[in-house]
Amino acid sequence: MTRMIRRLSGGIAILTVFAAIGGLTVFLPGSLLIHEAIAAADPAPVHQPDPAWVAPDQEKAKKRAQEIVPFVEAVMEECELCRQMRLREMGLGIKDSASAYYLLDSPIIKKSEDLYGPVRFKHNKHAAQLKDCALCHHYRPLDENAKETTRCSACHQEAFRPDHPERIGLKAAFHQQCAGCHQEMKQGPTDCLGCHNKNVPDHKELVMLSGKPQPTEVTRECLRCHKAAGEDMLKTAHWLWKGPSPHTLNRSKHVEHGKATSAVNNF
Amino acid sequence: MEIDRRKFFKVLGVGGATAIAAPTRNGHAWQSKAPPDPYGCLVDLTRCIGCRKCEQACQTVNSLPQPARPFDDLTILDKKRRPDEKSYTVINRYYPGRRDDRDQPIPFFVKVQCMHCQDPACASACIVGALTKKENGTVHYDVTKCIGCRYCMVACPFEIPAYEYSDPITPRVMKCTFCYERVEKEKKPPGCAAICPVEAITFGRRNTLLKVAKKRIQSDPGKYVNYIYGENEAGGTSWLYISSEPFDRVGFIDVPKRPLNQLAETIQSALFSYLWSPIVLFGMLGGIKWAFRDKSHAEHPHKGGES
Repeated sequence: MTRMIRRLSGGIAILTVFAAIGGLTVFLPGSLLIHEAIAAADPAPVHQPDPAWVAPDQEKAKKRAQEIVPFVEAVMEECELCRQMRLREMGLGIKDSASAYYLLDSPIIKKSEDLYGPVRFKHNKHAAQLKDCALCHHYRPLDENAKETTRCSACHQEAFRPDHPERIGLKAAFHQQCAGCHQEMKQGPTDCLGCHNKNVPDHKELVMLSGKPQPTEVTRECLRCHKAAGEDMLKTAHWLWKGPSPHTLNRSKHVEHGKATSAVNNF
Repeated sequence: MEIDRRKFFKVLGVGGATAIAAPTRNGHAWQSKAPPDPYGCLVDLTRCIGCRKCEQACQTVNSLPQPARPFDDLTILDKKRRPDEKSYTVINRYYPGRRDDRDQPIPFFVKVQCMHCQDPACASACIVGALTKKENGTVHYDVTKCIGCRYCMVACPFEIPAYEYSDPITPRVMKCTFCYERVEKEKKPPGCAAICPVEAITFGRRNTLLKVAKKRIQSDPGKYVNYIYGENEAGGTSWLYISSEPFDRVGFIDVPKRPLNQLAETIQSALFSYLWSPIVLFGMLGGIKWAFRDKSHAEHPHKGGES
């Protein structure tokens, strides 16, 4: 009897080892094999970007965002509807737009803090969708020689100006206008990271690795500061190998028993 | 003579009546020591989006300890908080009852911090002058003077000052500093006001802010409740609030509309002006002693000597 059990358990152990090896050969070195196969084949000509090339519209937007225009002291008092009607009668539209793309950024804002990157703003896309310039260009300068619509930073500059206590600053103007409208229209992002990139500090100074570190050392170094990110990762499908995959086009499925629970390899 | 209970109270009553009548006759009217044109902040609660950036800026500017949960974790709003020894300001979320077109309750955010009263009760209660009202509006705390009696915590009608109970050696009273150094020396707005992405906090002179607040309410009476919290609360505060929700429904404390130190200081100054009250008290005690003196000694002056 005991001999039978021993033999049986031995058999199970051997089977488990085989199964494990099988799983490993299929999975772990999979990517390595692919890499080797690519390396062995004739290397395809890799596209090397020309370092001298810059995106012209991006550069233009960057330059424009750095400009500080003279402050508009007084605006023409006009009701919302009146202005809307007037602009429509003037035939103001996308054709009058100075640029299709702007970067919402300004040294005025950066003077007080620098937490987030600039926001990419597709001016003409908004104009085409809204068909109403007065929604954002809500006032015109009192000066009759000035253009009908001006940039935000002409009227909204530093916050809390003692001479214009009711005029909000540029940062608040952007946020109230953008996020307020997005909320109202139920379109477009309303959270910080929906529009901004976080200003990530330069990691050259922060990372403490020398020589040729092992992959595990690199992971450990990342986790030294990003502990929460590591813990979060342990709860994702990337680690658990289970859960729904709704964004996998034509391959979406829901796996309840992932690698982390009962099965060895079922994806 | 026997100690006559009725007579004793008669003497005491007459003395007491003069004591109470005296201050009104002297007419030492209480004077407010509020600065004429202090800085202040106007919080427009209709603008607040509950991002907690003000909490983050406060922590940075005032070198407060890093919180256990990061500032971008908004689930912390599930619970109501109060400013404590680790955070001078907190954002609370309320659901006062409005619903959007999908029938979801619309959240409403309220920032809580020291109101920087014009006539602060905490400064009045402080027996060593560690808390003072500065010319720029700040109710300033000087840790070098503080003896840790915590009277300020009892006196504050807004329940703001917190105490570092966890530190047995050098505990401090902790409350919003109005970024005193930053405002006074660097000429910058307080950290929370500067960082607010939607300018829910407007920084400026209090008198100007009152005008701005009234103008905002007037220009959109359907949006705002016609009330400026802080205009008259506790005799007026440097921090002012306007809101689209009734203030009592979103956690604001109903505070008397007069300086809270007025009564206490009136009584105190009335009692101790020209040291009249101790003089009256000891005079009265002397009178009682004299009235009820042991007359048997007078009849037998040498009795003591004989025994």
